[in-house]
Amino acid sequence: MSCGVLYSVDPFLRTAWHRCGWLLVISLLARPLLAEDAADHFESKVRPVLIKNCYACHTKPRKGGLRLDSREAILKGGKSGPAIEVGNPKDSLLIQAVSRTHTRLKMPPQQRLAAHEVTALSQWIQQGAVWVQSPSEFFQREVQPLLKKNCISCHGALPKGGLRMDSREALLKGGKSGAAVIPGDPEKSLLIKAVRYQHEKLKMPPKKALSKSQVATLVRWVAEGVAWDIPEPTAVTAFEVDPELRNFWSFQPVVAPEVPRVTEPAWNRNPVDAFIFSRLKKEGLKPARPASKRVLLRRATYDLIGLPPSQQEMADFLADDSPRAFEKVVDRLLASRHYGERWGRHWLDVVRYADTAGDAADYPVPEAYKYRNYVIDAFNQDKPYDQFVKEQLAGDLLAAESDAQRWEQVIATGYIAITRRIGVGPLSLRHITIENTIDNLGRTFLGLTIGCARCHDHKFDPIPTTDYYGLYGIFDSTVYPHPGSEKQPRRRHFVYRVGQQQAEEILKPFQAELDSWNAREREKFREFQSFQTMKVTTPGRTREIVWKELQVLRAQRAEMLKKFPDMEIAYAVQEGEPHDVRVHAAGDPKAPGAEVPRGFLGILGGEKLAAKATGSGRQQLADWMVDPGNPLTARVAVNRIWQHHFGQGLVKTASDFGVRGTPPTHPQLLDYLANYFVEEGWSIKKMHRLVMLSRAYQLASSNIKQNAAVDPDNDYLWRANRRRLDAEQIRDSILAFSGTLDRTPGERHPFPHRRSYFYRQHEPFAANYPTRRRSVYLMQQRIQKNPYLDLFDGPDGNVPFATRKATTTTLQALYLMNSAFIHEQSQLISRHLIGDSTDTKQGVQSAYQVIFGRPALPAEVNRAVAFLAQSISQLAASGSEEKDRQQQAWAGYVRGMISSNEFMFID
Amino acid sequence: MELSRRSMIQSLAGGGLLLPGLLSEMLQGAPAPNVADPLAPREPHFPAKVKRVIFLFMTGAVSQVDTFDPKPYLTKHHDQSNGKRRFYKGSDWKFRSYGKSGIEVSDLFPHVGSVIDDICMIRSMQNINGDHFGATIGIHTGSATFNRPSIGSWVSYGLGTENRNLPSFMVISPGLPYAGGQVWGSDFLPVLHQGTRIIPGKEPIANMSRRSVSRQQQETELDLLSFFNRQHFKGREWDPNLAGRIKSFETAFGMQMAAPEAFDLSGESAETHALYGLQPGSTEGFGWQCLVARRLAERGVRFIELIDGDTNIDSNWDAHAKMATYNKLSRNVDQPIAALIKDLKRRGMLEETLVVWTTEFGRGVFVPSPGTEGRGHHSRNYCSWLAGGGIRGGMVYGSSDELGDQVAEDAVSVHDFQATILQQLGIDHERLTYRHAGRDYRLTDVHGRVVKEILK
Repeated sequence: MSCGVLYSVDPFLRTAWHRCGWLLVISLLARPLLAEDAADHFESKVRPVLIKNCYACHTKPRKGGLRLDSREAILKGGKSGPAIEVGNPKDSLLIQAVSRTHTRLKMPPQQRLAAHEVTALSQWIQQGAVWVQSPSEFFQREVQPLLKKNCISCHGALPKGGLRMDSREALLKGGKSGAAVIPGDPEKSLLIKAVRYQHEKLKMPPKKALSKSQVATLVRWVAEGVAWDIPEPTAVTAFEVDPELRNFWSFQPVVAPEVPRVTEPAWNRNPVDAFIFSRLKKEGLKPARPASKRVLLRRATYDLIGLPPSQQEMADFLADDSPRAFEKVVDRLLASRHYGERWGRHWLDVVRYADTAGDAADYPVPEAYKYRNYVIDAFNQDKPYDQFVKEQLAGDLLAAESDAQRWEQVIATGYIAITRRIGVGPLSLRHITIENTIDNLGRTFLGLTIGCARCHDHKFDPIPTTDYYGLYGIFDSTVYPHPGSEKQPRRRHFVYRVGQQQAEEILKPFQAELDSWNAREREKFREFQSFQTMKVTTPGRTREIVWKELQVLRAQRAEMLKKFPDMEIAYAVQEGEPHDVRVHAAGDPKAPGAEVPRGFLGILGGEKLAAKATGSGRQQLADWMVDPGNPLTARVAVNRIWQHHFGQGLVKTASDFGVRGTPPTHPQLLDYLANYFVEEGWSIKKMHRLVMLSRAYQLASSNIKQNAAVDPDNDYLWRANRRRLDAEQIRDSILAFSGTLDRTPGERHPFPHRRSYFYRQHEPFAANYPTRRRSVYLMQQRIQKNPYLDLFDGPDGNVPFATRKATTTTLQALYLMNSAFIHEQSQLISRHLIGDSTDTKQGVQSAYQVIFGRPALPAEVNRAVAFLAQSISQLAASGSEEKDRQQQAWAGYVRGMISSNEFMFID
Repeated sequence: MELSRRSMIQSLAGGGLLLPGLLSEMLQGAPAPNVADPLAPREPHFPAKVKRVIFLFMTGAVSQVDTFDPKPYLTKHHDQSNGKRRFYKGSDWKFRSYGKSGIEVSDLFPHVGSVIDDICMIRSMQNINGDHFGATIGIHTGSATFNRPSIGSWVSYGLGTENRNLPSFMVISPGLPYAGGQVWGSDFLPVLHQGTRIIPGKEPIANMSRRSVSRQQQETELDLLSFFNRQHFKGREWDPNLAGRIKSFETAFGMQMAAPEAFDLSGESAETHALYGLQPGSTEGFGWQCLVARRLAERGVRFIELIDGDTNIDSNWDAHAKMATYNKLSRNVDQPIAALIKDLKRRGMLEETLVVWTTEFGRGVFVPSPGTEGRGHHSRNYCSWLAGGGIRGGMVYGSSDELGDQVAEDAVSVHDFQATILQQLGIDHERLTYRHAGRDYRLTDVHGRVVKEILK
C-alpha cells in the first residue's frame, strides 16, 4: 500500500494507454455517427463524463476561467484558449488535458479518466461537438432569470397569496389558490393562466404582462416537467491532509522495534517484559510482586473462558511445581470450547451483535445466531485474524474448498447484515443503515470514527467526506437482507444455502398457497386501516371486529406455514448492482454532490477500485483492510487482546486510534505486538500465550504507595488491574457454582416462524427466552433490552462497546439482595455444595474453595458457624419449618459470598 | 414505616455495615470521590430556578386542535373539501376561556383549565420525526434515529440527586411507551443515570422488597456480607471501587426502607385522595401516578417522569380510528394533573418544581374523506405546556395558522424545549457535555434555543 498513488486506473490499462492510446482512439473515431445518434451519444456518453469529472470545478467562472456546462462556454474556453477545436480532438486542449499529453494541463488533477471516457469525448469533438440543452440547463439559462426578475420580489420569503416561487416544491404546493403548476400540463397550470392573463382573478405579474416569448418559455418549461436546478456537484477540492496529521502516530507504518536489553533475570525472558520493565525503570517505578498461584489461576481462567476455575483445576495447578505449570494452564484454557464463548463475546460487543433488527417494531432475526456461533467457532479454531476480517466483509466472494466452507463464509458476512435498522420503514433509510455499517467497520477494524465524515469532512482525523462515500458505494452495491419492519413486514434477500433459484423451486408449491393467504391478509389489513380514512357504516363491521378477524386469519396463515420446508438460511449479504455514488451534501441523500469512485481511505493509501472491477468492491475492501501495509488493522487487533488481559489497552480508546483517542502508553510494545501478530500468521491464540506468559501479566494487583503517587492510573503497568466481573461472568459463575450451567452451545432461539409475524410499533416484538446456557447465548433484543444484562453494564446491541463500564449502582445491590434469581441460585448452590451434610466446617471450606478459590481461615470458619447458628434460630422464630432451616441458613450464607467483593472482583 | 431513618442508620452502624471511621476516612482519601458517591448533588452552571422536574408524557400524540389550540375556522369548515381532495376535520369538543388570562381550553381538560393561570401554553411545538418511535425518542433524547441518553439521564448526570435512598431519575410508567426503555435509557452515560421504571403494584421498583424471611434475618445476612467485605478490604483499602461497592449495599438497604414509604399513600388524607380523584388503596390510573410523583418530589428525586399509556392505539392518544377515545383518556389525566399543580402550589413546592406536559407530536387537521372519525400523525405543529418555577403562567407562546396545521409564529423545536427545561435547572444546555467515542455530546446536539420569552 503506497500513499503516493493518487489515482488508480488499473495498471494494465494504464500501460496499454501509454503504448497505444492514440491508435485506439483514432481507429474508433473512424466510425461515423448519424445525426440523432450524435445527440444520444452526447446524452449517454459525454454529459455524464463531464458532470462526474469536470463540473465540480468548471461550472462557475473560476478555475482557469473555463466553464464546461454549455457549448458556447466550451468554445470560448478559459485562459489557455478554447477548450475544443470542433472536428479535431487531437488538437483540442480538453483531450490533451484528460489524456495527459499536454505539457502543463493534466485533468482531472486527482483522478485520471478511464480510456473509454477519453474515447467518448474525442468521438464527440470529432463528430461536431453536438450539445443538447437539458431541461435543467434550459431552466438555468432561460427560466430562472425570468422568475427572478418578474416574480420573486412578491413570491419569495414573504409570499403573497401564500405562494412561494423559489423552489419546485413550493410551486407544486402552491398558495391559497392551490398548486401553481402541474408538471407536463401547462394548460391546466395556474401559473400559465395567470401569466397569459386568462385567469378571472389572477393576472401576473400584475403591473406588466410578460412578453410572448417569455410566456412561451414558461409554457415549454412546464410542459417539459418543471425541471429545477440540477443539483450542483459540490466542489471536490482536493482534500489536503495536514502534514502534522500525516505524521500522526497511528498512520505510520508498523516497524518491528528492537527489543530493549534488560539484564534483570526475571524480566528478560519475554519480549513483552523487556518493554514493560525498561519503561518502569525509566519512570522510576517498582513492579509489584508476582501474584500468588491462586490469584493467577483465577485471573487466567476468568480471562480466557469467563468462568471460575474448578476445585480440581486449582488443586492440580497448586501441585504442579514444574516451570511450565502456568504455560500448561494457558494451553488447557485455550483448548477449551468455552474460550470462544468468552472471546467471541468481546468481538460481539464491538460489532454490536443482537438477535433483532432494531427498527421501531424490533423485528426478530431468527438466523442471526449463526453469525454469533461463527464468531465463537472462529475464536476456538484460532482462525487467522486476517482471514476472520476478510470473511466478515466478503466471505461470499472468497474461494472455498468445500460447500461447508463456502456456507461458513457466507454466514460470516452476517457482520454486515446485523447492521442496526431504524424506524418504521428502514428500507427507505438506506443511508442510515449504511452509515451504521461504515461507522462500525471503521471503529472495529481500524479504530477510526469514519461515520463522522458522512455529513462533513472529519473534524479531527484526516477523513474527508469523499472517503466516506468511496466506502459508501461499496455497501450501496451490496444487498442487505431485510428482516421485516412495520411498513414492509415481509422478509427479503436472505441467503439460501441451496441458492436462490433452487430455493424458489423448492418453495414454489407452497409459495402459491402462501401468496393467496398473503393477499387475504393484506386485504383484511387494509380493511382494518380503512377505519382511519373514512366513516365505515357497513352494519356489523367495526374496527374491533375486523382486528379480530385479522388475528384469526394470521393465525391460520401461520398454521399453514408449518408445512413450509425447513430451509437452511443465512442472515448474510449478497452482491448488488456495482456502482459509485455521489456525495450526499451535508449527509442528505436528496442533495447529491460529486460522484466519487469506490475506494479506501486516502490516509491509508487511498486505493480505488480498478475500472474493470466487476463486483461491489467488498472483496477489495477486505484485502485493503488486511494489507500488511495498513498500519491500523493489526495494531487495533492486538490492542484489543491486550486490553482484555490487562483491563486497559495500550491505547485506552480501543476503538479510536484517531486524533481524539489517547496515544499509546507503550508505542514500541504496541508495534512489537502488531508485528509479531502478523508474522505469526495473525494467530490470536499465540498472542494470548505471548502476553499471558509474561511476568507483567502475572503481577499482583497490590498497591505500592510511591508508584501510586507518580502513576495513579497504572498506565505503566507496575501492578495488575483489579477488575469487577462483568455481567456474563457473574451469571455464568453463579450457574456454574450451582451445577445448573448448561454448557452446550446455543442454537436458534425459539422465535416464531420466520414468515409468520406482523409486528408494528404498536405491537412490537418482545420476548424473553429463558435458558441456563452461558450468557453469550441469551437472546438479545435491541429495543427491549435484557434487564439483567443492562443492570450490570452488559452488552448493548445498538452501540458498539470497545470497553465495558463497571458501574456500581444501588439497583445492582438490590438485585443481589432480593432478586428471585439470586435467591433461587443461592439455594441451589448450597444444595449442590453442602447437600445434607452436617459437617459445617467442611461445608464452609468447600464453599470458600469453590466461590473464592481459597481455603477459609479459622476466623472465617468461626464466623460461618456463628452465622448459621444465629440464622437457624431466627428462621425458627419466624416460623420456618425445621427441615428447611439448615438449607435456608446456608443459602443466606452463599448469598453473602456471591454478593461480596471477593467474588465480584478479580485481583 | 416503623423504622425511622435515624434508627436505620444506627442499625446499619451497629451491624458494621457503615464501617464507621474506616469508610469515611477512606472515602476522603479516594482520588475520585465520585466513585463512591457518584450521585452526590453537583452545583449547576448558574443559580437554578427549580430543583426538579415532573415530566408528564402523554403517549400516542395528543391532538392539538381538540385540546389546547382552538380552531373555529376548522370547525366551521368541518367536512368541507379543501380543494385538494382532503377535508377539514373540526373538533368534537367545545373550547372555553379559563382564569384571568382567558386562555381557551377544550372540554376535554376542564381541570387543567382551572389552573391555566399557572401554565405557559406553547402552541407552536415541532418535533423532528413524524412517527411515534422517532418522535418519542426525539422529545426525550433530541435524536430520532440514534440512541442517545434521555433528558432525565442528562439531568441526573448534570446535577446528581438530593436523596441517595431513591434513584435520581424515576419513571412511573405502567405500560411501555414507543421505543420502550430507550425512552429513559442512559445510553453512553453511566447506567446509574438511567431512569428507574416504577410499575404500580406490589413491587414498584424491581427487587425493592425484602425477600429474606424476616428483617432480622436480612440484617444478619448483610452483616455477614459486611464481614466478607471487611476481610477482603484488608490490604486493599486504597481501591475506591471496593468502597463504592460496599456503600452501594448501604444505599440499597436505605432504598429498601425509603422506597416503600414513598409509595405508601396511607398517610395521605381523604381530601388529597379526592383532589387527585383517587380511590384510597387504589394504584390505578394517572391519579396514583401524580400523587406518587408529588411524594417523590418531596423526597428529593431529581427527575420524575409520568407516562400515561402504552403502544396500543386503543389505550393511548394515537386516535387514528376514533377521536372519541379521547373522552376516556382525558378523564384519566385531567383531574390528576390539575391536582398535582394545586397540591404542589399549596405546599409551596410549585415554585421549585418545573411541571412539563408534552406528547410526541400533534394530529392532522385534514382527513381523506368526510366523516372520518380519527386523525393522522402531524409533527409540524402541536401543543405542550410548562408550569412552575420561573415560568410565566397564564401565557400563550407561539401560534399556529387558522387551521392548526402549520406553525404561524415562534416555532419551538424539541431542542428548544429541552434547552429551556435545562435552563430552569441552572444548566447551560451548551455546556452540559459528555465525552464519548472521541467527541463531546450534549442533549441538544448542535441545536437548541432557550425560549426566554416564557421565563420570568
